[in-house]
Amino acid sequence: MSAIIVAKKDFRDAIRSRVLIGLTVLFALFTVGGAALASWLSGLSDDASAQSTIELVLTLQAPAGFLVPIIALIVGYGAIAGERESGSLKFLLGLPHRRRDVVLGKVLGRTGVVAVSIFVGFTIGLLGLFAFVGSVSLTDYVAFTAVTILFGLVYVAIGVGLSAMTRSTTRAAVGALCVVILFKVIWGIVGTILLYVIEGTFLMESPPGWYFVYNAVSPDAAYGSAIGAVLNQSGPTVASAYDISTLPLVAEPWFGFVILAVWAAVPIGLGLWRFDYVDL
Amino acid sequence: MTAIDISGVTKRYGTELALDGLDLTVESGDIYGFLGPNGAGKSTTINLVLDFIRPTRGDVRVFDLDARSDSLEIRKRTGILPEGATLYDRLTGRQHVEFAIESKAADDDPDELLERVGIADAAGKKAGGYSKGMAQRLMLATALVGEPDLLILDEPSTGLDPNGAREMREIIREENARGATIFFSSHVLGQVEAVCDRVGILRDGHLIAEDTIDGLRDSMPTQTRLRVTLDRIPDDSAAALAAIESIDGVSSVEPEGRTLIVACEDRAKTTVLRRIEEHGVSVEDFETDDSSLEDLFVAYTSDAAGSAGVIQ
Repeated sequence: MSAIIVAKKDFRDAIRSRVLIGLTVLFALFTVGGAALASWLSGLSDDASAQSTIELVLTLQAPAGFLVPIIALIVGYGAIAGERESGSLKFLLGLPHRRRDVVLGKVLGRTGVVAVSIFVGFTIGLLGLFAFVGSVSLTDYVAFTAVTILFGLVYVAIGVGLSAMTRSTTRAAVGALCVVILFKVIWGIVGTILLYVIEGTFLMESPPGWYFVYNAVSPDAAYGSAIGAVLNQSGPTVASAYDISTLPLVAEPWFGFVILAVWAAVPIGLGLWRFDYVDL
Repeated sequence: MTAIDISGVTKRYGTELALDGLDLTVESGDIYGFLGPNGAGKSTTINLVLDFIRPTRGDVRVFDLDARSDSLEIRKRTGILPEGATLYDRLTGRQHVEFAIESKAADDDPDELLERVGIADAAGKKAGGYSKGMAQRLMLATALVGEPDLLILDEPSTGLDPNGAREMREIIREENARGATIFFSSHVLGQVEAVCDRVGILRDGHLIAEDTIDGLRDSMPTQTRLRVTLDRIPDDSAAALAAIESIDGVSSVEPEGRTLIVACEDRAKTTVLRRIEEHGVSVEDFETDDSSLEDLFVAYTSDAAGSAGVIQ
């Protein structure tokens, strides 16, 4: 209950941030751009079902996959370290809240903030789809939004977890930047290098199972899998791309939810553990 | 009943010793003034009471509960004004108070509390635009939420003008009259002197004195401050000053034009006057005043020569 009170307060505070407003506008521009791109591409393809999937992916998933982690980390990294730096944490914890209520409340509150940003960005993207393409499945849209908010939660958890582990916002920001670089750049490169080192080649017709697992366990890949699972589509999945019938469990679309849950739980757990015994 | 009981507490930050075997007891219903120069360990002590930090050694109890394991229960019954109040810039004053009310599951009226601390007209303004004094008043309003049994005020007068400081003292008295124990820290004695039942003086991480204000005064050798106005400045003023300073019981002599300010023990008074006249000048006028508590505080907490004797 206490965590909810903290979350509500935190939401009210963080939603008024100018940085967030700027990021949301940027996100909306991306989704509209995606819708425009989708309308242009739909002229090139005849397959209606693949087309609607591509529209959604271009309009919603691509901008969200790129920007939601950045928005969520920016919203999250200062959550606790910032209050520690300014001293307002002493006001917050002078009230009867447990430290874990503060961490959980921050995760919830800031996820709410990111959810609003996602909702605004997606709604504008949806309007773009109606304008440029003419039709879109509302069920798919809602499923997309829900999974994306979950994706946002994961990165908020990483940001808040980092924030709970350090007393300096600078360090938390550096940590957040490293997280972005890790998942956007390093993860893929390391995978390719591993593939070369272990298998002796970059290009394989049917890559080994471990490579699928490796490529499925990053939060960004898990987001893609989870979306595949809720859309229940026969679109460009890993299995169809490589034409193999049996995927490792970890690379199954529904397992994306499990992976997302782990990515959310681990940083929260580390943050709780560290923040609970540290001197403020 | 004791409100706060700190026994044998040491707090070490790396190699730095912030508190060194501190023993301190605050009785329920008291207004306790926690005095000491900046850096003496006052905030460290308060942080321990609130479980913001944990002791390296020793035991901290509040309402006879363990400060660490029962911290939530303690904070439910405590109102806190942290040092150098920092607010949420994007929330209004009223939202701050509402948050405190909700957090404590209290049923106060936020506007009433804001009225009481004198910032009702700024209730709807964002706290980012508050002056330091207004921020301090807002923090006090949140501390008063839920009629706490214990009020912990860390340097409450920071940023307040004399009028604000007086209003703060009034509220402290009202809260105490309602039954609350007040524990407040300050490095300015004047604020403590006016309201406190008991005073503890902290220096270098331990309590060097603890008593009532009167008790502290009694424990000092009776110091007198003499203001002696002469008809002229003596010809050899340096020798005259040295001669007066050398009198047993005199701790300082300061010339101010034709006036000499002499701090001395009561018994040395006549000797001082006689010695002055030996230098060929006559005393036109003189007045005495008893040592103020401020002198006492300075004597307790500074290393200045002549005051070392009063520190145990």
